[in-house]
Amino acid sequence: MKHRHGALCAALAAVLLTGSAWGDVTYERIRDADKSPGDWLTYHGSYKSWHYSPLDQINTKNVDKLQVAWTHAMPHSIRGLQSMPLAADGILYYSGSYNQVFALDGTTGEVLWYYRQKLNDDLVSKQTHSPYNRGIALGAGSVFMGTLDGKLVALDMKTGKLRWETKLLDSERLTVGFTGAPLFVKDKVIIGAQGGEWPYRGPIFAVDANSGKQVWKFFTVGGNDDTPSDARNTWGNDSWKTGGGGGWMPGGYDPETNLVWWGTGNPSPLYDWSGPDWLKSGARPGTNLYTSSILGINPDSGELKAYHQQLPHDAWDFDSAVGEFLMLERAGKKYMVHPNKSGFVFVYDRNGKVQNVWRLVKHINFVEDIKPNGTLVGRRDLTEGSHKQLCPFIAGGVSWNSGTYNPKTGLYYKVGNEWCMDLTVKKTEPIVEPMAQLNIGADFNLVHPAGDKVHGHVSARDPLTGAKKWEVRFPEPPLASLLSTAGNLLFVPDARGILRALDATSGAELWKHNDGQGHNGGIISYVGKDKKQYIAVATGWGGLAGDDYASFFGAPYNTFPKDSGVLMVFRLP
Amino acid sequence: MNCLRHRILVVCLASLLPGTTIAQNAESATSRPRDAQTIFATTCGWCHNKGGREAGKGPQLMNTTLSDAEIITRIRKGKQGSMPSFEGAFTDEELNGLVAYIRALKPQ
Repeated sequence: MKHRHGALCAALAAVLLTGSAWGDVTYERIRDADKSPGDWLTYHGSYKSWHYSPLDQINTKNVDKLQVAWTHAMPHSIRGLQSMPLAADGILYYSGSYNQVFALDGTTGEVLWYYRQKLNDDLVSKQTHSPYNRGIALGAGSVFMGTLDGKLVALDMKTGKLRWETKLLDSERLTVGFTGAPLFVKDKVIIGAQGGEWPYRGPIFAVDANSGKQVWKFFTVGGNDDTPSDARNTWGNDSWKTGGGGGWMPGGYDPETNLVWWGTGNPSPLYDWSGPDWLKSGARPGTNLYTSSILGINPDSGELKAYHQQLPHDAWDFDSAVGEFLMLERAGKKYMVHPNKSGFVFVYDRNGKVQNVWRLVKHINFVEDIKPNGTLVGRRDLTEGSHKQLCPFIAGGVSWNSGTYNPKTGLYYKVGNEWCMDLTVKKTEPIVEPMAQLNIGADFNLVHPAGDKVHGHVSARDPLTGAKKWEVRFPEPPLASLLSTAGNLLFVPDARGILRALDATSGAELWKHNDGQGHNGGIISYVGKDKKQYIAVATGWGGLAGDDYASFFGAPYNTFPKDSGVLMVFRLP
Repeated sequence: MNCLRHRILVVCLASLLPGTTIAQNAESATSRPRDAQTIFATTCGWCHNKGGREAGKGPQLMNTTLSDAEIITRIRKGKQGSMPSFEGAFTDEELNGLVAYIRALKPQ
């Protein structure tokens, strides 16, 4: 009984000690997130990126009584609601399409303030990966957000008024902007641009949190001009100029090594025609640093201190930009676990040295395997022409939705996607004038894996070895993030719109609720001013990965609105 | 007849005349016309599966009931939340080439 209420008491104390309703969110407070379990202060929950809540007021014994407390609708919610809410001192902050932000009373859902960024509408109409926003950051009295047209903005946390905005990208020429959440670290805000199939160099930026001035920039394609040119030399025929890359989802931070870890996007074009001769021929001869890599960057200087390229010469669009950087410790040794979009999960030490690689999904044939030291075995490099059954499908063995690590069970819970594709590779050239256009390199379509049907699964795994404890199958891959809690619960928002609470130990279903439309965003837990624990989940379908669902699966996806986003919030009676 | 329709009609009629060079859209800056198959593999194929033969993220284009003018308008203006605008991205010759490509689509 004492232990059961321990986490809640700590959360209440944190709320009371902050004094005012609008407590400061400092770097130290995020670094020590364990001490404020009633908050969700950063995209991944904490710098450890566990997507885990230490709250246990809602638990396996009472979750069957969980009910809707309130809901809030995001206006103009084109492409649904893909964001991760944040919570501090009982106040909820969340973003939506067209760079809108709300601050809500976490107990009642009452709107405290609303902000909508003035955007270059003509530019936004020309974007493909748009107009959604996947999240915000809190810190230094501000709410930070990257915009579709290439800015980073800071809003006053108390009033929602604009404090500063800084133009970082020439989005009018590059077409891309920012859709991922920033990361607040120490006195800086770090954000990565879209890249990948977009022919530029995918920069990651750091901006001073107080002044808004850009402090440093790192080009994920070819590195910076003042760093060794080895990286640039991994792009033959000057292909680095249109290399793609990017860092379109937030990374993690390790205070002990003072390194920000960031995953980078794939190179462009997505599909190369070189075949096995990729080091010397094709669209982009070479290993293409630093695409499809993890980067360890000093947040103060922007200096690249460590990296590992998960997929040298990625020829399949399997980003490292997706996925959380789980910071773990086991038997006195410290690890970092990061999934690659292909469905392989990489295990590192805290300096970025590969310790193990394990397979989350079954249908993989773009390589035969990846060895525990990270070496690719049996690459399937494609040539011009038709190819059948490339696995996984372009949307990935995993997508950008986060998994969760639960320190009480010691398990990592992650959505895996089982699907494949047929494609016809063609030679393409980058289009950069008057605006950049996608550079894919193939026609393609989704197909069932040979001998199987497209499906998804949520499995409970040992994060270091991949050993599976249990698995729950879904007829269509879920595309939302997961949440686990100290109440021994795993919350799974699926693609059909059903939110389930599973027993984190056994996978048994304990509760479910039909949220009315598909899930394609985030889920968190927090404590409101009423001292109750809440679960807040984004609902609203329409992300790019889910765009194939209506034509491939039919109902219910062909009945979902694509302009609806509703935040649904649950609590016990 | 509004300005846009008049312009499209002029473009379409001009394409039927031998030896006619279609004036480049002032907003586009491509130095050569790209063929439609390459444009699809570069950009359109992201949403239009199998070169437009199958529905995917976007609708099937093979056997579309849209008129030539409607296709060109859709490419230029896009559709909010579904398709970006390609205003200025392609020359008139490329746009006409895309229409011809779509009309000629057959199952593989």
